[in-house]
Amino acid sequence: MLGPQDTRDAFEIAERGYWLDRTLFRYSLKAIFCKRKEHYDRFDEMFDRFWSRYYDDKLEERKKTVKQIKKEPETDTIIFLGAKFNKPKAKEEEKEAKQTKGANENVRLRFTDFSKVDVADRERLEELAEELFHQMSMRFKRRLEDANKGRIDIRRTIRHSISKGGLMLDLAHRKKRKEKRKVVFILDISGSMDTYSYYLLRYVMVLKKYFRELEFFTFSTHLTHVTPMLRANKELQILKDIGSNVQTWSSGTKIGESLTEFLSGYGHKFLSQKHVVVILSDGLETGSVTQLKEAVETIRRRCKTLIWLNPLKGMKDYQPIQKGIVNVMPHLDAFESAHNLDSLLKLEKLLMDV
Amino acid sequence: MNKEIQGLINDFYEQDYILNQALATSVFLLNNLEKPLLLEGDPGVGKTMLASTLAAHLKTDLIRLQCYEGLDVGTTIYEWNYQKQLLHIKLFEQEKDKRTLGEEIFGMEYVLKRPLLRSITAQKPVVLLIDEIDRADEEFEAFLLELLSDFQISIPELGTIKAVTKPMVILTSNRTRELSDALRRRCLYHWVDFPSKAMEIDIIARKLPDIDEQLAAQVVHFIHNLRKSSLKKPPGIAESLDWAKTLVLLNVDNITDEIVENTLGSVLKHKDDIEFVRNKSVQEFLMPID
Repeated sequence: MLGPQDTRDAFEIAERGYWLDRTLFRYSLKAIFCKRKEHYDRFDEMFDRFWSRYYDDKLEERKKTVKQIKKEPETDTIIFLGAKFNKPKAKEEEKEAKQTKGANENVRLRFTDFSKVDVADRERLEELAEELFHQMSMRFKRRLEDANKGRIDIRRTIRHSISKGGLMLDLAHRKKRKEKRKVVFILDISGSMDTYSYYLLRYVMVLKKYFRELEFFTFSTHLTHVTPMLRANKELQILKDIGSNVQTWSSGTKIGESLTEFLSGYGHKFLSQKHVVVILSDGLETGSVTQLKEAVETIRRRCKTLIWLNPLKGMKDYQPIQKGIVNVMPHLDAFESAHNLDSLLKLEKLLMDV
Repeated sequence: MNKEIQGLINDFYEQDYILNQALATSVFLLNNLEKPLLLEGDPGVGKTMLASTLAAHLKTDLIRLQCYEGLDVGTTIYEWNYQKQLLHIKLFEQEKDKRTLGEEIFGMEYVLKRPLLRSITAQKPVVLLIDEIDRADEEFEAFLLELLSDFQISIPELGTIKAVTKPMVILTSNRTRELSDALRRRCLYHWVDFPSKAMEIDIIARKLPDIDEQLAAQVVHFIHNLRKSSLKKPPGIAESLDWAKTLVLLNVDNITDEIVENTLGSVLKHKDDIEFVRNKSVQEFLMPID
């Protein structure tokens, strides 16, 4: 958001006559108004749109070099809360839910596959997810607080003693430097993952608060860097922002292509021996399986740990036989399910132990 | 083009730094608006070199603060010279009372000035380079805010020290982590991209006047194609220059598989990247790209 100081700076350069030279004016406003690369990429088009007399010609030229502005989807994806839901085949669903032995309501929901939750249970599942994720987040926080105690720092203690006439009354402690975990989540939001995406998204949003460096991407046919949208404090606002900015929600899946896009666009920033990469996808690749294999191989080579979470693994008698998954399995450090609340909560141990 | 900006471009060119008009405008505003300039970009695009070239252009000192995680006030702003203070106390403890001693040992002569304090107490404006601010943590960013907005530093024992002369502040970042909005708001911003092919050929020709034009073009094609591959560390401008120098020293006039095999260490700094390139043919990387 631009503030009064930016406006003042813009007036100052205008007052100095820089507006008379369109190029100088453009570059000056760009330096003042843009605060990150994403603004930089959009600025020229916006400048031409506003200032150029021959708007259409300039805009046509610009279209060739700049990405299209993402269109608002016709439907607000916030309506996940009341989104279309594939009505489950009653008999199978009842059977699955009933087969969870000895279950009270909460336990039953905790173990029920997200794609098979009845419309009537969704509200209760929301509440339960909220509660369990909160408990998980408290456990993360406790682990971080325990690491803060350390040994006495002699140098700082002596320094503090100067003001006390040489008496070491205030003990300074040297804090143990925390090894910052860096995590990258890459979430498949294609049609086949539709009913899982919402809960996985909520899960990542909780984790974001307790990992100092967490990057979040979504993909189906294209990759979207979602992390900047996570800065909003309100969950509802975050979901709305993500929903309105991700243009390929619920379309087909080109996992290999999207991971390759991640590598070329973000790999040098978000892959290192300190990074844990978590891919959340059912592995149903509609693009090139070879490209998928190469991309996963490259990611594994460049990160500390690679985890693949597959909701399909929660299905009874599931075997990873699809070509996409078969080819990437040798390169994974962990292959786990993410099909219900319980499986997501189990990941806590996995993420804390890496 | 504005004469002053053109003058800036020409002066930088004399110092072998090729500025495009956009970056020259940002540097011009840094001087005229007296606002810090945040340069973001991939490693090796010339962000740090810009600051040193600017200092040489203005014939002033460059004060550099290399950031890392765990930077604190003691390493960046000031620290008390404890040994000198203790010595003073020992020398005069019999002659002076405690109150007087206490006042004396907390004077400016007992302060060890670190880069940030040195930059605002210099007698003439200096260029202050805060390099790789993304490596420092968020606590350090908070220290900087007062300096970046008001060019002053608060020292509890001494009060607020205002700048004698305002330094020209350049911050660089490789975007390994997101910087706070509070910091960004206080700065002008420029994204420094890798140069275009034509500009990079120009840079190589400027630094290596003896290089063959065709060889320079081949080097640039190769490097630009490497940058589009999924490498751990894409080569920067420094690597282009190193490789070009190596090829000139070896009297190479055409890049072949064997030449690449023998000189790849000048360009790529990761074993995995070297293996990646070795598994491909040179021709693949010499294909012209748009």
